[in-house]
Amino acid sequence: MTPISGIKMMKKMIKLTVGVLLLAGFSTSAVLAADGKSEAVKPAAEFGLDEIWSGYHFAKKETQALQDDDFDNPGNLWLEEGAALWSKVDGDAKKSCQSCHNDASKSMKGVATRYPVYYAPRKKLINIEQRINLCRTEQMKAKPWKWKSKQLLAMAVYVNNQSKGMPVNIRITAENKPFWEKGKAFYYKRRGQLDMSCAHCHEKYYGKHIRSNVLSQGHINGFPTYRLKWQKPGSVHRRFKGCNKQVRAKPYGLGSDEYNNLELYVKWRGNGLPVETPAVRN
Amino acid sequence: MAKPRIKVPKMAKVGEIVEIKSMISHKMESGRRKDKKTGKVIPRKIINALKVTFNGKLVFSASLHPSVSANPYFAFDFKVPGSGDMVFEWTEDGGKVITAKKSLKAA
Amino acid sequence: MKLSGIATVFCSFVGLAGLMIQPALAGDKDKMMMLVKYEISDGPAIKAINKSLTGKPGDPKKGEDLMANRKKGNCFACHMISSLAAKAKDNPKKYADMGEIGPPLDGVAGRYTEGELRMMLVDSHKVFPDTIMPSFYRNTGFTRIKGKFKGKTVLKAQEVEDILSLLKTFK
Repeated sequence: MTPISGIKMMKKMIKLTVGVLLLAGFSTSAVLAADGKSEAVKPAAEFGLDEIWSGYHFAKKETQALQDDDFDNPGNLWLEEGAALWSKVDGDAKKSCQSCHNDASKSMKGVATRYPVYYAPRKKLINIEQRINLCRTEQMKAKPWKWKSKQLLAMAVYVNNQSKGMPVNIRITAENKPFWEKGKAFYYKRRGQLDMSCAHCHEKYYGKHIRSNVLSQGHINGFPTYRLKWQKPGSVHRRFKGCNKQVRAKPYGLGSDEYNNLELYVKWRGNGLPVETPAVRN
Repeated sequence: MAKPRIKVPKMAKVGEIVEIKSMISHKMESGRRKDKKTGKVIPRKIINALKVTFNGKLVFSASLHPSVSANPYFAFDFKVPGSGDMVFEWTEDGGKVITAKKSLKAA
Repeated sequence: MKLSGIATVFCSFVGLAGLMIQPALAGDKDKMMMLVKYEISDGPAIKAINKSLTGKPGDPKKGEDLMANRKKGNCFACHMISSLAAKAKDNPKKYADMGEIGPPLDGVAGRYTEGELRMMLVDSHKVFPDTIMPSFYRNTGFTRIKGKFKGKTVLKAQEVEDILSLLKTFK
């Protein structure tokens, strides 16, 4: 059996299970709550996907096992580092994250389900990495961490992880709508010498093999994700850059407005998927 | 940065076979990469050996080479001879040794 | 937009116009490549380029390498060809794991004429506007193309003919 027919069969089986459970009187949401990441979610709004699958679903069994085991998941090294940094005092204000936010398991719970958000002082979106650095520069009077630094990745993993299992829930409001629109335009725009849009791979052909890789739907509910290729966790923006380069397009910068808009749009497409940070992918 | 993590059960029966796991965060710089800006080869820096002892007796060892991925992970089965301390020692290029210890109580 | 008739001619004039807008480019090697002129006519199923781009016969052996090469045609990323996939056990890097994005190319020469196949290789977007397939012999009309690819085509004219000479044998 090829992997692809395996996926199709799994989809069928899951549909069947959901159906049977529904007959037995369970609600769909109860079924999804049990193990959302390996099951399809129905999109709340109309767009190019009939059902939403986490990238977990398209990963190899071995990779899934690596993610599922708390000890084996190498992303947890960064999670532990983030937990240690949470209470570490830094900067001229002599504060740590904890000084303002106390217990992260309470104060950061749900944050990952709604970011990136509109940030009024800048009249644009900021994502979690930027929020962390804003806290550092403005509240702690400390230096911002670099995008690819161990610290920023560790803290981003830690903050996202506080929402693990909670469904992504991006709400489109009057404030973030213009940025969501820009993100959507980016998603469907062909770019690079290979002239492909995000939608070509992740909407039209997900689940299919492109050479030895299986295309996912491109959801970002597991970021920062530990990529075996990177041998460390990386941000959503780093992944966007990689995709852009693959189609021979000039990437935007880490932390750029363009990628924040895309991050909002892509995250919205995955509404209902559970936060998996730190996910493991190849 | 090299932070070790080990998993040893706190309690086990004498003669029981338990799974021991270890992971150490390490870049495992292979010595084959070049600095993109300067074009110079980045010197090799890897964990080149792991030695595990139980009450001083060697129970597991491994030599690591440049093709081992970052954050090397080792797991092995261990037959519990009795109570004692399990000590992990990772040796980095240059001779630095990183250790981690966990105690196991056998009933 | 009607595309039959003489296709756009890419001449040095376009290159110069580009350079005037972006003076930073003036010094580097990324000049607009001069493309061979070609004529598009109607084929039995889709539009076609009936005349060879170079007038020189293609080399199917080179064509096979180009189809496998991930930086060139990379055809195997999306298309399956049974006769070539059979070589995977001897050379997996080159022939294993052919993709399933596009239709298998088995018998493709029976479904399309040589001219139609040339059209698809040169600029598939002219016949299938929504396709994921790149245009292998086009060097304008891109968004945010990466510097080193500016003004260039994915394949050279002769490389298109090389691949085509192999495709023609898939009957």
